[in-house]
Amino acid sequence: MNSMAVPFSFARTSLIAGNTFLEAVRQRLFLFLVLLAVALVAGARFFHEFDFGPDGGVPELKFLFDFGLGALIFFGSTLTITATAQLFFSEIENRTALTLLAKPVWRAEFVFGKFLGAWAVVGVFCALLTGLLAVLLWFRTGAILAANPGAFLHGGRIGLGDIAIVCGLQWLKFGVLAMMTLLVSSFSGTNLFSVVMGFFVLVICHLQAFAHQAYTRVEASSVALGLMIETLARVFPDFQFFNLADKVGTEAGLDAGLALRVAAYALAYILVFGFLAVFSFRRREI
Amino acid sequence: MTTAAEASVPAAAPSSGAPVAIDLCGVTKDFPVGLRGLKLRAVDNLSLAVPAGQVFGLLGPNGSGKSTTIKIVLGLLEPTAGTCRVVGVPSAQVESRRNVGYLPEAPYFYRYLSGAELVRFYARVCGVPRQRLDARVREVLDWVGLTGAAARRVGTYSKGMLQRVGLAQALVHDPRLVILDEPTAGVDPAGSAEISSMILRLKSEGRTVLITSHLLAQIEDVCDRIAILDRGRLILEGAVAELVGRRDRQALIVEALPPGELAELRVWLAARGRALESVEQPRARLDEIFLREVARAGDGRKEAGP
Repeated sequence: MNSMAVPFSFARTSLIAGNTFLEAVRQRLFLFLVLLAVALVAGARFFHEFDFGPDGGVPELKFLFDFGLGALIFFGSTLTITATAQLFFSEIENRTALTLLAKPVWRAEFVFGKFLGAWAVVGVFCALLTGLLAVLLWFRTGAILAANPGAFLHGGRIGLGDIAIVCGLQWLKFGVLAMMTLLVSSFSGTNLFSVVMGFFVLVICHLQAFAHQAYTRVEASSVALGLMIETLARVFPDFQFFNLADKVGTEAGLDAGLALRVAAYALAYILVFGFLAVFSFRRREI
Repeated sequence: MTTAAEASVPAAAPSSGAPVAIDLCGVTKDFPVGLRGLKLRAVDNLSLAVPAGQVFGLLGPNGSGKSTTIKIVLGLLEPTAGTCRVVGVPSAQVESRRNVGYLPEAPYFYRYLSGAELVRFYARVCGVPRQRLDARVREVLDWVGLTGAAARRVGTYSKGMLQRVGLAQALVHDPRLVILDEPTAGVDPAGSAEISSMILRLKSEGRTVLITSHLLAQIEDVCDRIAILDRGRLILEGAVAELVGRRDRQALIVEALPPGELAELRVWLAARGRALESVEQPRARLDEIFLREVARAGDGRKEAGP
């Protein structure tokens, strides 16, 4: 062995990510959330007591889609925050990080490896639920068309591509959430603190757009409050950008350009929070 | 030999021009305690040179700063003051760890991986070339005597086997410096003796070994040099042979003498201006008896057959 420079390595990062993924899928929480979410999505088909009206096909599909997406968002957010914090702290608390970081490994490789591993777990979860939702909607579309061939003459049909795009954007949103949880974990002393802060951040990211709108409508608001809301709007990403579900099933359909812009927005936040996490973790005592 | 009075002076290499594996110069490490700006000094102006190719023991009571020093050497902690170089490379740089293998105290590894998978993972992390990977993993597992258990999950390993697989992952990238933090903690005497023999094999291969242990007999057996820390300060450093040997005294082991002959011997010595200071019965070491009897019992079972 010589003392040549050790550059940042994507191979090492992916090794750490692979190991993190393997560790995560062995945890019962992952299996439990997957089963629960699958049961909810599949169960949505059996809500017969809802009255979808005389031309029930379009509202029923929309209901199934919204219900499935809701399950994906709720359980996906829970899984993202808990899995990311847990996978990070299991390395610290079990002291496997000590052995790993005593190797020629950059801390940036460790942070991004943990992130990619956790994000891959959430990706598998999203893919499973998206696939299930797509199959469910495809079957119902066929059944509705068989009963009423003109059911979708005025639109309302939900395309598989649209489902994939909407769920894919949610996965990107979970990526931003995972990186923010990792940023908190990089300086946090306990797993619990990271999880609580992760949910806190999630709420801020979902509500900050409403707070911003409300402030701009009310003229008499205080300067301090305005400054705080402006700061929140700059620092925290706006998770409302990722909600393109309303466009699904409409005549206009999803705007692919908008979806790409939202994806770029997510990746930019992932990178910025990633660099902050590396900076924070750089001098952490292991 | 360095004494407490000289400890604050930067230590030079034991012999001028000899290559140095670890060079600590005036290293101090403070940890913040509480919110009032109080600091706990874990390592205090430590200067130490670990010569290449030797087995060096870092000793001290609990809380003396051994683990903090090791973490500084590994680049896991940044010193508050002073410098640390590992094989000539500043320890804060990732490159310095290419030359270092580390077995942590009470190692915990990914329980769901097999021994071979674990060593393979660390080998890939350390950049062992793909074409050498399988052979190198087999080689180190064989070296630590874990070939038979390589396919078993690490979660099923005994304490001794965990230390062995820990040693295998520390050696897989062929480092010049091996750091062993309490390698025999919780290991039975047989396992401890095997680890001692592995340390001596590492030395015979030309590697430098830095070891911490509370088993001073083991340290005495395997180490060339030692340093003793107390409250973060170096209080003693030197070659083991110089520290434990007494050049002004000799021990002669003879067959048991009757009291009359013993008295004659005293008179004979007194006539020459010498004194017989003590007469003792040599004692076998308990670990030697343990190892001998366990080996004998094992041989007995082999002869008896399955």
